[in-house]
Amino acid sequence: MADEILRVEDLHVSVEDTPILNGMTLTIHRGEIHVVMGRNGAGKSTLASVIMGHPAYEITKGTIHYMGTNIEEMSVFERARAGMFLSFQYPAVIPGVQVGTFLKKSVQSVRDEPLKGRAFRKELNAAMTALDMPKTVLSRYVNDGFSGGEKKRLEILQMLLLKPNLALLDETDSGLDIDALRIVAKGINSVAPQAGCLIITHYQRLLDHVQPHFVHVMIGGVIAQTGGPELALKLEKDGYEWLEATTEA
Amino acid sequence: MKYADMAVPSRALHLWRYTPWARIHPSKVDEVPQANGVRFNALEGGELVEGAPRIIDADDISRVFLSELGGSAWTFETNGASDIVHLQAVASGHVAVGHLHVSLNHDVTVVLHLSGESDWTGLHVTGEVAPNVRAGFGLVNELSSNGKYLHCEDWRIDRDARLELAGLSIGGFRCKSDIRTRFTAPGGELTQAISVHGTGQRHIDHHIEVHHDVPHTNSALSIHAACDDQTHSIATGLLSISKGANHCDAGQVFKNLLLSDKARAEAIPELEVLADEVAAAHGAASAPVDMNQLHYLMSRGLDEESAVALLIEGFMQDGFSSLSTKNLVDEMRTRLTVHLECELKR
Repeated sequence: MADEILRVEDLHVSVEDTPILNGMTLTIHRGEIHVVMGRNGAGKSTLASVIMGHPAYEITKGTIHYMGTNIEEMSVFERARAGMFLSFQYPAVIPGVQVGTFLKKSVQSVRDEPLKGRAFRKELNAAMTALDMPKTVLSRYVNDGFSGGEKKRLEILQMLLLKPNLALLDETDSGLDIDALRIVAKGINSVAPQAGCLIITHYQRLLDHVQPHFVHVMIGGVIAQTGGPELALKLEKDGYEWLEATTEA
Repeated sequence: MKYADMAVPSRALHLWRYTPWARIHPSKVDEVPQANGVRFNALEGGELVEGAPRIIDADDISRVFLSELGGSAWTFETNGASDIVHLQAVASGHVAVGHLHVSLNHDVTVVLHLSGESDWTGLHVTGEVAPNVRAGFGLVNELSSNGKYLHCEDWRIDRDARLELAGLSIGGFRCKSDIRTRFTAPGGELTQAISVHGTGQRHIDHHIEVHHDVPHTNSALSIHAACDDQTHSIATGLLSISKGANHCDAGQVFKNLLLSDKARAEAIPELEVLADEVAAAHGAASAPVDMNQLHYLMSRGLDEESAVALLIEGFMQDGFSSLSTKNLVDEMRTRLTVHLECELKR
């Protein structure tokens, strides 16, 4: 059996006393790609944020285990150093901090061994070439003045460099044109065999390029149905109403 | 007017509200103490010539006081031989005063590095930018952390000239800077950027005046102050556009990053616009560290201390983003990085 990367059990989460997740259960093994779909407000982004340890979310019941360890007490930077990665739906803009500086500090923080300049530059060049990113990005400020597509590519670049065991991708395909979508998918596919992937998306089109093992549909803070790639196709065709009707019944 | 005949300015005045004259004077307000001369050196790219202090505004108490204190007086005139000139000013003794006049007659960047252990340092820089010249002037205040510092600058920008003024304030315990620029002919441009790092109990007061006395002149000012511990940063501005000085475009932006509950920051931009066809704008913002930025950096493996340090550096580096003179920006950013590497844990 493949390594268990993430186990979420009966997870209940609130924000300022408003329940968002209401008994979420999910297990991801190394090499698996899980896709989570659902209407706006279903709790998809909350799931990714709480797994990554965002302090605004309160776990009221249930557990999250990462690589066999309960991570409830781990801070966000400890989770990152342990190999967890979240590609943000809306990455923060940080004026004054150059992308090159940020990447170096980030990789240095996550890896145990000291960073060797030449080797890192080589690795960085290869990753940027794979994502079709110009080197001028390195001297720009983090996400400052970036288009939606540039922000998402920078997120994927970080993922390639940080080599996570668990990659959480929150609507990474939003706002991408067809070529950018293909490039981002290539990045995801290169990481996926060595990691567990949780992809949050509204659209089936990403799944033309990334082959998921499981597709989950969230309704009201829980997984209402799980299937294979065919479930995403059905949702694209029929929407969520049929599933909501089934769930209510 | 002589200093002895001048009244101590009232705290009701805009300029003296936060740093009264008595708090920045080196001794008792009716005294003009003996002063050493600040030692000036041209480190690279030019020569200094001894001269006499120049009084630009005989009604301003700071300028008159600095003039009567005496000290050293030097003139620097560009000769076109170098793209960048480094000047050094070193203050020592109880009271040290220096006057520097800068004539920018060529496209050049001049960086003045101010350091020293003086208990009280006075510096008066006067400067003029010749017609059609593109010049930069940077002042790096690296004085020891326990002295008082009174600093005045007066600039004249001639026809179609462009001046980029940069300031990095990282030294001195109680600092009062009063920087005034005046356009003397149409077509001039001023871009002014100041970054301040407040630690301990530093008190840093910047007063910036830009006078658009003639039409078709543009100015942009930005001040970024990162305030930690119990520091108090003050930035007051006066942007004036005279009657008939149409087609001017002027703006002031003051930003403060508050890093502790006891740090304080005042940002008071002020406009006096007497012309009709102009664009004038001002803005001010004070805020603690942005939690989304902090979370983003921490989600990439940086611990909280390292993430905050990077945000401070970014905030202060961003203070120089409005400048376009590369060697000026590079120099200011390098000095800032060196300072922060010492101050903040990496």
